[in-house]
Amino acid sequence: MLLAGGQGSRLGILTKKVAKPAVPYGGKYRIIDFPLSNCTNSGIDTVGVLTQYQPLELNAYIGSGAPWDLDISNGGVFVLPPYQKGKSGEWYRGTANAIYQNVAFIEQYNPDYVLILSGDHIYKMDYNAMLNYHIRHGADATIAVREVPWEEASRFGIMNTDSEDRIIEFEEKPKNPKSNKASMGVYIFTWEKLRHYLEADEADKKSNNDFGKNIIPNMLNDKQVLVAYNFSGYWKDVGTIESLWEANMDLLETPMPIDMHDKKWRIFAKNPGMAPHYIAKGASVTDTLITEGCEVYGNVNHSVLFAGVIVEEGALVESSVIMPGSVIRRGAVVRRSIVAENAQVGPGAIVGEETGNIAVIGQGMSIPAGVSIPAGEQVDEAYTF
Amino acid sequence: MKDVMGIIYTGENDARLRELTVTRAIAAMPVAGRYRVIDFLVSSMVNGGMKNIGVITQKNYHSLMDHLGSGKEWDLHGKNEGLHILPPFLTRENVGVYPGLLDALRSNSNFLVRSKQEYVVLSNSTIIYNAHLDELIRYYKDTGADITLLYTKDPSMKRDEYGTYLSLDKSGNVIDLEVQPTHPAYDNTYMEVLVTKRELLRELVDKAVSHGQHSLDRDILLRLVQDKSAKINAYEYKGKSWQIDSVQSYFRFNMDILDPKMRKGLFRDDLPVFTKVRDEMPAYYGVNSHSINSLVADGCQIDGIVENSVLFRGVKIAAGAHVKNCIIMQDGQVHDGAYIENCILDKQSVIKRNARLIGPEAYPIVIGKDVVI
Repeated sequence: MLLAGGQGSRLGILTKKVAKPAVPYGGKYRIIDFPLSNCTNSGIDTVGVLTQYQPLELNAYIGSGAPWDLDISNGGVFVLPPYQKGKSGEWYRGTANAIYQNVAFIEQYNPDYVLILSGDHIYKMDYNAMLNYHIRHGADATIAVREVPWEEASRFGIMNTDSEDRIIEFEEKPKNPKSNKASMGVYIFTWEKLRHYLEADEADKKSNNDFGKNIIPNMLNDKQVLVAYNFSGYWKDVGTIESLWEANMDLLETPMPIDMHDKKWRIFAKNPGMAPHYIAKGASVTDTLITEGCEVYGNVNHSVLFAGVIVEEGALVESSVIMPGSVIRRGAVVRRSIVAENAQVGPGAIVGEETGNIAVIGQGMSIPAGVSIPAGEQVDEAYTF
Repeated sequence: MKDVMGIIYTGENDARLRELTVTRAIAAMPVAGRYRVIDFLVSSMVNGGMKNIGVITQKNYHSLMDHLGSGKEWDLHGKNEGLHILPPFLTRENVGVYPGLLDALRSNSNFLVRSKQEYVVLSNSTIIYNAHLDELIRYYKDTGADITLLYTKDPSMKRDEYGTYLSLDKSGNVIDLEVQPTHPAYDNTYMEVLVTKRELLRELVDKAVSHGQHSLDRDILLRLVQDKSAKINAYEYKGKSWQIDSVQSYFRFNMDILDPKMRKGLFRDDLPVFTKVRDEMPAYYGVNSHSINSLVADGCQIDGIVENSVLFRGVKIAAGAHVKNCIIMQDGQVHDGAYIENCILDKQSVIKRNARLIGPEAYPIVIGKDVVI
């Protein structure tokens, strides 16, 4: 069950029109491609995607699930928005409530175990290995954790474990952390147990209906078996403009911190179906990822270009992320910026600066010729040039 | 356009493509960085509204089947209709090798009989085009012809000894055909694409084959025109097209497509070209790489110099390597210090350290699949 309903408000104008899991990443992906591909590669073939905020683009993107081989007759991928039940109907109130509202969906498949995921992170993980771990430990719940630097531990939900990785305490953003094992928001539950706790949680009117705040602490209070599953690979929360930009730049490092060429663990994505990209005579492209449909006549360095991006003659793109269909006109300069989908940077315009915060150009925006957009600005319809 | 089915014949003579067609049909030739020739034909048919498409295969059809699969990428995986791959099989009169297109159609007459559409578009697979076939079909219906042929006036498509050329009257009716003339007299090159009624095609094929005839152009079209026993007209395709039937023409097509104008003529927003997806990550250009005038597919890693070249998916060009006027197919590698010019590298071939390979522009060097130099 993939929780994809959050707004991701810290991504500012990038999530004004789309849900966070639908935000483009890495030249040809969207954030949700990572958990969905992880499911496919782990042999999980029945996936519910819970949507609520701005779901249209996400729904269209998921479609029949074909890019992830999830278009099968028994199972597959299902988009699950909140719906009317009897006379009542309500929005998803929290992560636990969202799952509670879909108990009937889960019961259709009569599972022994349920995997709860979020659509907020870039990582490759074998959920099947985690499930084996869950079964081997006879656990009621298994929570994936990763070790974070001690000085940052107070920003996370921290799991305090005993020597056998059994969770003895959960602390949300502790001031004085006793452990540096941070929850990744990836849970496996034995379904019978989870259903029981979801029902109890729903009956508690004071509850926030949240996994981290309610379900996990309640299970710990009842001395259920909760174990931590250690994960040490690349994992990036792309919840802010800066971290989304950084995660894109990570792909330019040699060696790549996350192996995207691994044929045994492909990250699948919906294909735009465009011709290969073209680098023109007189262009200069270095330290850059470029995908289908791009046409580069200008200079691009240390950047990520998505499908169908055009960089005209004399334009310069540096340390930037240019999302699908955007055009950088003649002589424009784009530095340390994220340009969202189908935007235009007019001739001679200057976006972003060599230092400072990341500048963001919103979906479909046009930057007039010759205009300068300083570092850290976010340009949407409300912006006055 | 649910009333039109498509048939693509892929059994053409491919001797002039040398090693490139040892393991594949011309229709399965990799082109333009991520496509196969047949992608353009199937996509044109799908864009023209056809949902029932048969691909008649002859020899070496494994790579074609592998590429087309269930037809999913072209939305051709319907319940009853969709994509049908029609490999040769033994019948009383057929020993498995088709002497010509007519024999192939006769062998697969069951497919024609069982289909429900009233009309059929029949296409060869050695010409790359991206046409509005719905316009061809509308013209056919509006003019009340028995058969309408697709043709082009593009002079580069007129070649001695090969092909069929048309003479037309003022209202577009075919008044004469030249089949494989040494020096063609007419400027209208028949693109080996026609539309007719399904029943009529079946009858014509039956009649011709039972008289020991093999060639559609010579034994059916030419005869009908000479006898004046059918109304055959022609519809002009004004877009760009390329014949892929020799190493030179294959090389030329890929080099032409580097020209942005030519490319726009083939890859049009209103006529998307679909192909099998490989889920490679975007191409990476290294810090000291240098690339100009090149078409590059996903999954490539370029650290060296690339000029005027077409790189297919997953190609690696090492630092210190130099590639000029080359076509490098899927997963090819050029190592440090190697220099190659006017070469066609088939899939997975490797040019090792410091090797030098310079072919003449008019006769590119062909390096076979999996070859290491």
